[in-house]
Amino acid sequence: MSEPLDIVILGGGTAGWMAATALVSLIPPTRCRVRLVESEEIGIVGVGEATFPEIRNFNDAVGIDEAEMMRATKAAFKLGIQFVDWGFKGSNYLHPFGVHGPVGMDHIFHHRWLRARGLGATREIQDYSFAAQAARDCRFQLPEARSTALESAYTYAYHFDAGLYAAYLRDLAERRGVVRTEGKVQDVVQDPETGNIRSLVLESGETISGDLFIDCSGFRSLLLGKTLGVGWDDWSKWLPCDRAIAVPSERDELSPYTRSTAMEAGWRWRIPLQHRTGNGYVFSTSFINEDEAATSLMRSLETKALADPRVVKFQAGRRLINWEKNCVAVGLAGGFLEPLESTSIYLIQVAIMQLVPLLPGKIVDPRLRDEFNRLIDLQYERIRDFLILHYKLNRRDDAEIWRYAAAMEVPDSLTRKIELFRHSAIIERYRDGLFPPTSWLSVFIGQGLIPESYSPLADTMPGESLISHLDAFHADLLDRVEEMRRHDRFIDLYCGADLSAAAAAAEMRL
Amino acid sequence: MTRRIQQVVVVGSDAAAWMAAAALLRSVSGAGISVRVVELPSLLQPVDAYSALPELAGFHRRIGLDENLLFRSCKAVPVAGRRFSNWSGAAPPFIHGYDRASPVAAGLGFTQLWIKGRERGLRTDFENFSLASVAAKAGRVPVASGGAGLHAAFGYNLDARAYSALLRHGATRGGVDSKAATIADVEIEGDRITAVTLDDGERVEADLFIDASGPRAALIGHMSGADLESWREWLPCDRMLIASAKALKPLPAFSQISAFRHGWIGLFPLQDRTALVAAFDSRATSDQALVEDLPALANIPMGGDVMASDLSQGIRRRTWAGNCVAIGEAAFSLEPLDGVQLHILHYCISQLMTLFPVEAGVFPEAQLYDRIIRRLAVNLRDFQLAHYKLNRRFDMPFWDGRRDAAVPETLQRKLDVFTARGRVQLNDDETFQDQDWESLFIGHGLMPQSYDPRVDAIPEQEHIAQVQARLNDIVGLAEAMPPVDDFIAGVNAQRAAEANAVG
Repeated sequence: MSEPLDIVILGGGTAGWMAATALVSLIPPTRCRVRLVESEEIGIVGVGEATFPEIRNFNDAVGIDEAEMMRATKAAFKLGIQFVDWGFKGSNYLHPFGVHGPVGMDHIFHHRWLRARGLGATREIQDYSFAAQAARDCRFQLPEARSTALESAYTYAYHFDAGLYAAYLRDLAERRGVVRTEGKVQDVVQDPETGNIRSLVLESGETISGDLFIDCSGFRSLLLGKTLGVGWDDWSKWLPCDRAIAVPSERDELSPYTRSTAMEAGWRWRIPLQHRTGNGYVFSTSFINEDEAATSLMRSLETKALADPRVVKFQAGRRLINWEKNCVAVGLAGGFLEPLESTSIYLIQVAIMQLVPLLPGKIVDPRLRDEFNRLIDLQYERIRDFLILHYKLNRRDDAEIWRYAAAMEVPDSLTRKIELFRHSAIIERYRDGLFPPTSWLSVFIGQGLIPESYSPLADTMPGESLISHLDAFHADLLDRVEEMRRHDRFIDLYCGADLSAAAAAAEMRL
Repeated sequence: MTRRIQQVVVVGSDAAAWMAAAALLRSVSGAGISVRVVELPSLLQPVDAYSALPELAGFHRRIGLDENLLFRSCKAVPVAGRRFSNWSGAAPPFIHGYDRASPVAAGLGFTQLWIKGRERGLRTDFENFSLASVAAKAGRVPVASGGAGLHAAFGYNLDARAYSALLRHGATRGGVDSKAATIADVEIEGDRITAVTLDDGERVEADLFIDASGPRAALIGHMSGADLESWREWLPCDRMLIASAKALKPLPAFSQISAFRHGWIGLFPLQDRTALVAAFDSRATSDQALVEDLPALANIPMGGDVMASDLSQGIRRRTWAGNCVAIGEAAFSLEPLDGVQLHILHYCISQLMTLFPVEAGVFPEAQLYDRIIRRLAVNLRDFQLAHYKLNRRFDMPFWDGRRDAAVPETLQRKLDVFTARGRVQLNDDETFQDQDWESLFIGHGLMPQSYDPRVDAIPEQEHIAQVQARLNDIVGLAEAMPPVDDFIAGVNAQRAAEANAVG
């Protein structure tokens, strides 16, 4: 049997420790040895406190106990994202993690809803979403597995402390055999002929060589960008925000959703965790300066701040290639699309879960590399379009950034989708990539794009029957939501952290 | 206020026209849309058969067609797969079974276990791990099959004229208005068909025309920019013979596709006969010469007429132009190699229903339909093409040429990724899924050079046990399935019982 592949991960943080955990958990030591190099002097960005439901697949695959993880990361549940003031000032809608209407009807439900609306019905589309209604009422229970039950019409993600999640994974990965080395990289040695990365030379003088390098160095993209010179695809003309200010505040209502509020030069998040509320302002320096943004954020806090605000600079875009030679970027080193739909951790996960089955041998097989890059490109482009949609469809006229976004040219792939929805209420489906039609639907409708017409297939039922069907469904849904536990109570029972002890543990780790 | 579609006219014949009519009847006629069929002369001969994938059952459910009728009135034979023989020199035939595979662990298919097993000396052929293939070999019908995470399904061979008549009966009984005619003129204004004039002088107007006329492309062929993009450079057979041979006894549970010097020959068992199809390169042999060779090549006595026709594989550059939507072979056509003819039809029809235009006069839905149908077509073309590309019939100009020819990038990528790691690159609108492509590739001898490293996390003893268990499960499940003749007799006995109960 051949020697195991030596994999070197550069950078801890969420990306690095997720990669390390997955590799060491899914692939036996006879096939790969994993080392992770990180420096405690370099902070982690760790903005991502909100996740997407796909993270549960990752956790399941690597064998993480949900309740234990949630306790360790002070996590709460997330049933969707609420968007406040995005369509117009005073508007608000929820992008739920689940379908609108009954299970298995999502191809036709919104057409029926549109028809009912034309007949005078007044309920919003989200009133027919189990996830949205439970979220609004701050209730939670685990969804049913039975695929026909209404309680299977939703899924969920987490709000957690990304720093604690990384720490949790680090503990797991180290116990499973990942070797961590503390240190800063001073030099990167490349093969003079192939250009492949051979080794990292640390400031301590130690040399760490490997067959495959995973660049989790964050925005610096030390290996993929700096060493291998892979170019950057700048998407900031579509996603103009380039900075985030984050500040934690005291815990208040434990609502099972992220709130995103549109602001004068970007938007503000509110992410409830067990022990605090995460807050942040994502903005564009073309439209506001940092001090003003910080003032605006601090003023908007609903509870007392627990720390000083922290600033993160970024640019929306991605590296043109995410796997070049023997180096694969995971996380910010490969790209970043602002945190609007909490896709950062998802993109980390996708890169890892595509890399594992395509893991190369000691010599990189270009066929595997190309397949990886193709899949990653699809993911980035589809998320990009979905994020741009939020900006493009705003109907606010009260600030420069919103006027800019409403007028900007967007990728053809997105224009096509918007125009088709506007005309016919049709939503294109795709196989690979995040955001099912129900997600597109909630943003389209939520931001005020009401289609001019709907499918004639929705015309077959007499109008009165349609209305009474919808009324009955809605009443049933509310009854079921009422039977659910309050979210905070569910958390206490399921994974309540011992706040003082956990806080102490977190202190020690920091 | 927009003006809704009020009148839909289907122009065509046979399964295409009546499948469309049946679907329209179910989906939109309740919405006050009238559906009319202009029935062109049939393109079918008594020798014609349709060979369909299991997915057709879903379409039948949607239009409310009782499956049992297929066996009673369409001479149907259930088939669990297609057997490919003589494609690879001396290698034994393989069966592409109609499986619904489920993974053994998150994202990790059984195929990956097989690849490693083979590397370590496992000598059991891949098809023995396919429930459908094993059922097919044993002459069994995978009815309501399942268990141990294994699922197989059956498709059908159908008498084409009887099946069309059955669909026609259902649609007309459901209230679809139809008229047999030929087309004298298609009136076009800009990008819109204003009317179709029939041979008796009647002028038929509609908001939406559906071209279900098959390769005639009676409507779409008149639309500007909708000419045929030929795929002959990839798929070299340009001529087809169809004939009948006597019924096989006992009935096999698969169709057979055998390669020969100048193309391939298909045997499609029906209850009362065996439909025989030969696709070939007319530059290499003539109709006459092949008719003489057929009985020997197919190893079966033939009877009755032999019908010859041209094949023209390709796709319309626009499959939905203005108010004219092409479905089935009016949109694109391939060889009848993988049983996709009816599949293409019902896929086109179900896309048309999903994208049913909301307004008469403007059709932004067309762009998406066209993209979807083109993707469907390219994926299917690549599947067919892979049979040719992967052949190992050496020293025969036709086959050497196919093996050496470059293939479209879409297929090359699939071949590359599979060769490298045994993974199937699936695109949007794929008819065939992982298990189908795996069966095709491995069956034709394309062996992956490495496997998913997660397989090594399974201890060797457990790996062997899993492989063995799968073999045992499959044998057990297949043995419990009814033989084809029993299955058909059972369907007919059920009718007798029903008749008695009513009487």
